[in-house]
Amino acid sequence: MSPATLLPEDHSRNPASSILYQASEDRRDESLSTEGAVVAEWSEVFESIQRHGVQGLNDWRNAAARISRERGLAYRPASVEGGVEDGWTLDPVPWVISRERWQGYEQGIAQRIRLFSHLLKDIYGDQRIFSERIVPAEIVLGHKGFLRALHDFPMGKGGGSLGLSAIDVARDSAGQAFVVNDRFDKPFGLGLALENRTVINKVLPRLFRRCRVKKIGQFFTEWFDFLQRTSPTDSERPLIVILDPSEQGDDSEISFLANYCDIARVHPSDLTVRDGRVWIKALSGLVPVDVIWKTMPGSDMDSLESEKRFSKGVAGIFEASRQEGGVSLVSHPGAEVLQSPGFYPYLQKLCRAFLGEDLLLPPVATWWCGSPTAMSHVISNLSSMVIKPVGSHHDLRTQYGRLLTAEQQDDLKARIKENPGDFVGQEELMISTIPVSRQSGLVPRSAVLRVFSFLDEHDKANVMPGGLARVSKLDRGIISTRESGESKDVWVRSLEEEEPYSIANELDRTRVFSPEIVPSRTAENLFWTGRYAERTDVISRFALRVLDIRNRGISTVDTFERDHENLLMKTLFDIFDCESLLENPNSDPDILNQVLRNRDCPAGIDFNLDRFYSASQAAREEWSPSSILAIGSCYQGWNQRSGPFDDGSRYDSGVESLQLSLAAFLGLNLDSMTRDEGWALLDSGRRIERATIICGLLRFLLDSDQLKAEMQSVLNESILYILDSVRTYQSRFHEKPAPELTTRLLLGEVDYPRSILHILTRLYEVLQKVPTPVGAIHPGETILPQIESLNSFILSMDRNSGSGVFDRQVAVLFIDQLLAFLASLSDNLTTAYFSHAVKKG
Amino acid sequence: MSSIRYEIRHRTAYHYTGRIDLCHSLVRLAPRSEMGQTTVNCTVAISPEPHFQKNGKDYFGNEKKYFSIQSSHESLEVVSSVIVDKDIANESRPDSGEVWDRPKIKGFHSRVDNTNIPLGNYLLPSAACPGVSEIDLFLQSSLRPGREIMEVVSELMARIYTEFNYVPGATDTSTPLHTVLKKKTGVCQDFAHVMIAALRRINIPARYVSGYLETIPPVGQVKLQGADATHAWIEAYTESTGWVGFDPTNNIIPAEQHIKIAHGRDYFDVQPLKGTFIGSGSQSLVVEVDVQRI
Repeated sequence: MSPATLLPEDHSRNPASSILYQASEDRRDESLSTEGAVVAEWSEVFESIQRHGVQGLNDWRNAAARISRERGLAYRPASVEGGVEDGWTLDPVPWVISRERWQGYEQGIAQRIRLFSHLLKDIYGDQRIFSERIVPAEIVLGHKGFLRALHDFPMGKGGGSLGLSAIDVARDSAGQAFVVNDRFDKPFGLGLALENRTVINKVLPRLFRRCRVKKIGQFFTEWFDFLQRTSPTDSERPLIVILDPSEQGDDSEISFLANYCDIARVHPSDLTVRDGRVWIKALSGLVPVDVIWKTMPGSDMDSLESEKRFSKGVAGIFEASRQEGGVSLVSHPGAEVLQSPGFYPYLQKLCRAFLGEDLLLPPVATWWCGSPTAMSHVISNLSSMVIKPVGSHHDLRTQYGRLLTAEQQDDLKARIKENPGDFVGQEELMISTIPVSRQSGLVPRSAVLRVFSFLDEHDKANVMPGGLARVSKLDRGIISTRESGESKDVWVRSLEEEEPYSIANELDRTRVFSPEIVPSRTAENLFWTGRYAERTDVISRFALRVLDIRNRGISTVDTFERDHENLLMKTLFDIFDCESLLENPNSDPDILNQVLRNRDCPAGIDFNLDRFYSASQAAREEWSPSSILAIGSCYQGWNQRSGPFDDGSRYDSGVESLQLSLAAFLGLNLDSMTRDEGWALLDSGRRIERATIICGLLRFLLDSDQLKAEMQSVLNESILYILDSVRTYQSRFHEKPAPELTTRLLLGEVDYPRSILHILTRLYEVLQKVPTPVGAIHPGETILPQIESLNSFILSMDRNSGSGVFDRQVAVLFIDQLLAFLASLSDNLTTAYFSHAVKKG
Repeated sequence: MSSIRYEIRHRTAYHYTGRIDLCHSLVRLAPRSEMGQTTVNCTVAISPEPHFQKNGKDYFGNEKKYFSIQSSHESLEVVSSVIVDKDIANESRPDSGEVWDRPKIKGFHSRVDNTNIPLGNYLLPSAACPGVSEIDLFLQSSLRPGREIMEVVSELMARIYTEFNYVPGATDTSTPLHTVLKKKTGVCQDFAHVMIAALRRINIPARYVSGYLETIPPVGQVKLQGADATHAWIEAYTESTGWVGFDPTNNIIPAEQHIKIAHGRDYFDVQPLKGTFIGSGSQSLVVEVDVQRI
C-alpha cells in the first residue's frame, strides 16, 4: 500500500503544505479507503487539518489539554499510585463515523442489549439456558458476579434491567466489526465521553458544526426519564442518586456525571437501610431514596448478603430492593455475570433461542476451554490468542499469547489444562487504526469504540450516537483502560443540521429531581477542607516569617534570631499538638525543614496540604470549575516546587505562591459557591480553625512575660505578621506592638475579620444555614453566650485600658475557656451532622 | 414407619461492650422438611423486637429470615424453638452402580437435582472448599480404578474420621482449608469442608449440611441443658441414589439423630446467623443448643 495522501486529489490545492498521513502497512484505517484515499465522512476534518498545518494541530492539542485540565479531567488508572501522574488525555482529532456505518453499529448494539436482557432474566429465573443445553452451567455458576442471593430479585419495571451498558466494538483488517468487551456493572467512560464532547466542542466549534455531528444530549434525557420511571414509589418526583464506591472521588468521571446531571453522588457509607427502605444520611437528617444508579459491582453492594467476607456495601440494600415500594437498583446487581467472555461462543445460539434472529454484531471469535476440542484448539494456537479468565475471580489478568516467552506459554498451557473451564481463548484481532495527533503530525493508532446504551422497560433500545474512542499506546498495542490513557471524541455524522450543542439545554428538559441534599460525608469533607486550608495558610505564614527574618535579620545579637525562631516554632508545634517532634533526636534539627519538608509532621505544610487535598477531592462535585483549578494549583504547585532542599531561603517564592493559590481558593468559594448547607460547613470549618489558631497565638503571647522586653516586642510583631494584622494594628493604635493592644485587637475589634468577636458573629450567622438536628439544640445557639461573655470581657478591658491593670492571667483563663468552647463546637457539629450517632424516631 | 419427635431450642446471644445503633441480620434456623424429616413447628424469637422483618427462601430453598433493629441496643438474642419429626430408618450405604472414574456425561454441571438446582453448584470450588493441591494428596490412596462411588465416599469419610483430630477451638470460620489439611485438626465444619472439596475434585457433587445432633448422655447421668451444639455434615450425589448423607466427624451415615436445618455449597451459604451492625465496641457470643426427645 502506498502512503496515503491527506486529501482526495481535487481538494489539495497546495500539495506542498499537505500533511501526509500514512496508515500502517498491515492494518485497515478508519479514515482511508483501501486505495488510500480519505473517505467522505473524514474529508472536512482532514481539510481543516490541512489548512491549519502541524502548528494548528498542536494548537488544538494544547487547547484540549488546557481545557481538560481546567475542568479537572484526570482519570487515573487504579494501578497508578500516588504522586502527580498523567491524567486521561484527550486527542483533539475526532473519530468520525458515517451515518451508514453507525446505523449498522446501532442495530447490532440494540440487538445485543435485548439479547443480554433476556439472558439476565433467564439466569436469575428459569435457567432455560442450562436445561436446553445452550450454555454450559459452569460459565454462570463459576462466575463471581452470579449472585445466588438475587434468585428472588424483582424483575419488574426497570429494576431488573441491564442498566447502562458499555460495549466495545473493533474492526479487523478485513473491515468486519466485532464486539470485544461488554460492561454492565459499571459503564466506565460515560462521563469521559460527555466531557470529551464538551471540550472538543470548545476547541473545534466550527468544524463540529460543519460536520453535522449527531447530538448526545437526548440520550441522557431518555436515560433519566427511564430511571425516573423505574421508581417503585408513587412519588411524583422520585429521588435519583448515583452510587459511587470510590473513596476520594478521584474516579472523577462519575463526579462529572453527577455534576452534569445535577444529581447527588453518594458513597455506600452515605446510605443506610431502615424499615426496608434506603435513606441518605444527609445534613438535614435521613432522606429516602427512590432510584439508585449504581456504578459498583453487585457483588460488593450488600454487605449482609455479599458472598465476599468483607464488603463495604450497604447492609440490607437487596432486601430494600425486594420490598414493594422499596428502592430501584439500576442496573440489576447480578448483571456482572454477563460480562463473562465465556458466553461469546454461545451468543449466536442464544440469539436464535431468545430472539429468533441471527446475531448482527458478532463477538470476537472465542473458545471456552471447558470443552475439550476448544481447549486443544486454544493450546495449539496460543501464540495468536488472547487468554482471559472466565470466572473473573482469578489473579490472572488477560494474557496475550504473542507477548509470552516459550516458558511462559508452557506455564499458561499447564494452568489451562489444570482448570480448563476457567479460561477462554480469543482470536487476537488486527484492530483498525485511526489518525491520532502527535507533535510531528498524524500517526495511525489502533482504537476501540465504546458505545453506551440502555434498554427501557418496553424493550426499546436507546443507543448514544457517539461514544468513547480508546486509543492504544503503540501502533500495535493493547487497548485497555488501565494501559492506555488516550481517548477521543466520536462524531457520528448526520444528514440534518443539528442544533448547536449544549448539554445544559438538554438536561434542563429532564425532570431530574435534585433537592439540595448534602450527604453527611460530603459535609464533613467540606468542613475539613475549610479547616485544613486555614491551617495550611497559617503554617505557611509561620514559615514565611522565619524565612523573612533569616534573609533580612532583625538583631545584631547573634543568638537573638535563633531564640526568636525557636520560640515561634515551639508555638506552632504547640498549637498543632506535636511538641514531642521537637524533642525527638531523630528529627531534623532545623525545625523549619520539618515544617517545609516533613510529610508526617502535623505542623508541616505537606501534612496539612495533603489532607486539604484529600478532603476537597472527596467532595469534588461541590466545587466550581475555577475552584477545582485553584485546588489543583495549591496542591500541584506546591508538590512541583523545584530547587534544592538544603536551603530553606529558596522556598520564599514557593510558599508565597502557595499562599496566593490558597487565597484564590478561599476567595472563589466566597464568590462562586451557593450559600447552602455545604458552604456553611466549609466556612464554619475555616472559622473554627482560624479562631483556634488566634487563641493559641494570643495565649502564647500573654504567657511570654518572663521574656526580655525586646524579645516580647519582636514576638508580638511576628504574631501580627502571621495573622496578617500588622497594618491593621498600626492604623488602629499607632503604637509599637504591645500584648494588651494585640489582645484587644484580636479578641474584640468589631469589624475586623481576624478578631474572635467577628469570627464568632459570622459563625453564628453561617450556622443558621444548617438545620436543627433531631433531638438536640442547634449548635449555633451555643455561640451566643460566648459572644456575650466576650463582649463583657472587652468592655472591662476597655474600662481598664491605660490604667496599667491589664491582668494577663485573667486574659489567659478567658482564652482557655474560648479554646475549650471551640473544641466542643467542632465535636457538636460532628455528632449532629456527620456521624448520625443519634437516630430518628 | 415410626418416628421420633424432637424439641430443639437454639439460643444465640450477643453482648456488646458499646451501643449498637443499627443491625441487619440474616437468619437460617428453620429446619428443612425433606428426606424423612418433617418440621411440625418453628418459631424464632428475637430480642430486642426487630423494627422490620421478612421471611423468604434462599437460592437453595432454605428458609431465611431477614430482620433489622434500628434503635440503640447493647445485646441481641435470637432463640429458635423447633419441633421436628424424624422417621426411623435403617440408614445404610446405598450402591450407586457407578464407578468414580467413569467420565461424567456431557453437561453434567447443567443437570439439576430433585430441588431443581444445577449440579454445577456442588461441583465447582466454593469459597470454603477451594480446589487446593493438598486435596489431591489426601485423595490419592482412595482412588483405585473401578471402585463404586459410594464406597469411595464412605472410605473418605472413614479416613477423615481416623486421620484427623477433632479439637474444639482449633480452627474458626476463617481458617483456610489447606491449613486444616496440613494440620489434620479441626471441628465438624472443617471435616465437612475437607470431604466436600475432595469429592468435587473427583466430580462427585457434594454439599454442606448444617443441623443438630442428638447427644445421649452416658448411662446414669442426666443430660445437661445446652450441652448439645450445632453440627455439620455432608451429602453426596449420584444420579441413581440422589443425595446421601455422610458424617465424617462421627464416621456414620446420618439417621434419626441428625436433624437437618439447611444445605448449601459450604458453611457460608448456611450460616445460622449472619449480621452486620453499626456501632462501637466489641462483642461476646454465647450459643446454647438443646435437643430433647419428647
